[in-house]
Amino acid sequence: MKCLRLIGLAIAFCLIFIPGNPFKGEAYEDTQCFKCHTSAKKLIEITREIAKTRPALKSAETKGEG
Amino acid sequence: MEPLAPHEKIFVDSDIVDDENHGEIACHECHGGNPDDLNWKTAHNGVVKDPTYPDATTACGDCHDEINENYKTSLHVSLRPYKLITDKRASTNAFIRNKLACAMNTHCYKCHSSCGQCHISRPDSVEGGFLDGHLFQKKPPMQEVCTACHGARVGKEYFGENKGALPDVHREKYMKCDKCHTGDEMHGDGKDYANRYEVEDGPKCTDCHKEIYKREAENVITHRIHKDKASCHVCHAQPYKNCSACHVGKDKNGLPFYQSKASWLDFKIGLNPLKSEKRPERFVTLRHIPVDRGTFDFYVKEALRNFDSLPTWKLATPHSIRRKTQQNSSCNACHGNESLFLLEKDVEDKEKKANKDVIVPANLIPRKQKWQPK
Repeated sequence: MKCLRLIGLAIAFCLIFIPGNPFKGEAYEDTQCFKCHTSAKKLIEITREIAKTRPALKSAETKGEG
Repeated sequence: MEPLAPHEKIFVDSDIVDDENHGEIACHECHGGNPDDLNWKTAHNGVVKDPTYPDATTACGDCHDEINENYKTSLHVSLRPYKLITDKRASTNAFIRNKLACAMNTHCYKCHSSCGQCHISRPDSVEGGFLDGHLFQKKPPMQEVCTACHGARVGKEYFGENKGALPDVHREKYMKCDKCHTGDEMHGDGKDYANRYEVEDGPKCTDCHKEIYKREAENVITHRIHKDKASCHVCHAQPYKNCSACHVGKDKNGLPFYQSKASWLDFKIGLNPLKSEKRPERFVTLRHIPVDRGTFDFYVKEALRNFDSLPTWKLATPHSIRRKTQQNSSCNACHGNESLFLLEKDVEDKEKKANKDVIVPANLIPRKQKWQPK
């Protein structure tokens, strides 16, 4: 009984004093995906780099309405 | 619709972390890749651009299980009508069928949607790009999603962009696509419908216009007389776009292309090719569709050997509705007015056989009326 009470107290402590969701994993704001894709500057640099090497994806022979 | 700049297509709004439903899902949980890799090139190894197509179970199914259950029967995902219609026109020769399947995969089946390509990004067929920094959109925005694909015909009709045509009256009431085309219709219901007109949750004019057959309703006589004889569009649509002769192929660099002849505005009433309990009308509006005997000639000749098995003038529900139109201005604006009906002379010789069931014989054109309702 005492043990259960202690576990209950520990959970209540976590819920009250730990900000955010205690069950959430590592903050993904710290991942490289998030850092890069939320930076317009980085994306502009990278997409320009890609554009230099990437061949055209659309045919110029398309004519008429789709 | 202007395409987005390359960086705009993939820019993520950091507000996504505040999304109480999706904000806790890390990018790599849906898209894969390596979130710790500092090199963007190797970090993207194994990345899935749209994790909701062809199967949305992993990305969406855990929470949206009911929608996901029927996802594959959504016509936007299954494209089943394309397949059924092409199969019906196609040759039965196995070699030709294989070539045709290759052409369909290269061209026709690219034009699908998915959860992601309605609620997160523009569809791939219009070059994609996030709608609003990857923030999830409960209702897909009309012009960036719906009419981005359905633009040449539905979009131009609805917005009144065809020469001499007014916008659809529903557009003038600021109604967006989802007002009539609900999520239930879009998401599928588990049934494999052969065409969009069969979909149980599809829109019907009488869903809103419930009163038109009631005694006290305005124009009740006209509505009652024409009930089950003519579709609403026959009286209330303005001229709409018709297309022809689409041909597909690959250019010298192996890139797929299509070419179609110039479209034209027309209004043609024909016999209903899809008569059913839901659509019992004898007369409906017909639209010429871009299919041609030689559409797939680049891949294989005679692919559509059974071309005549389906009409090229197809049941249409133009999005160019007005309360008052030229053909409903009086009884005799339509009755006895041959120019409104699809007659044999309106159909090209090479397509006469295909359209024999929708062409209106002269004796079926409603006769001029002496009596006019008040």
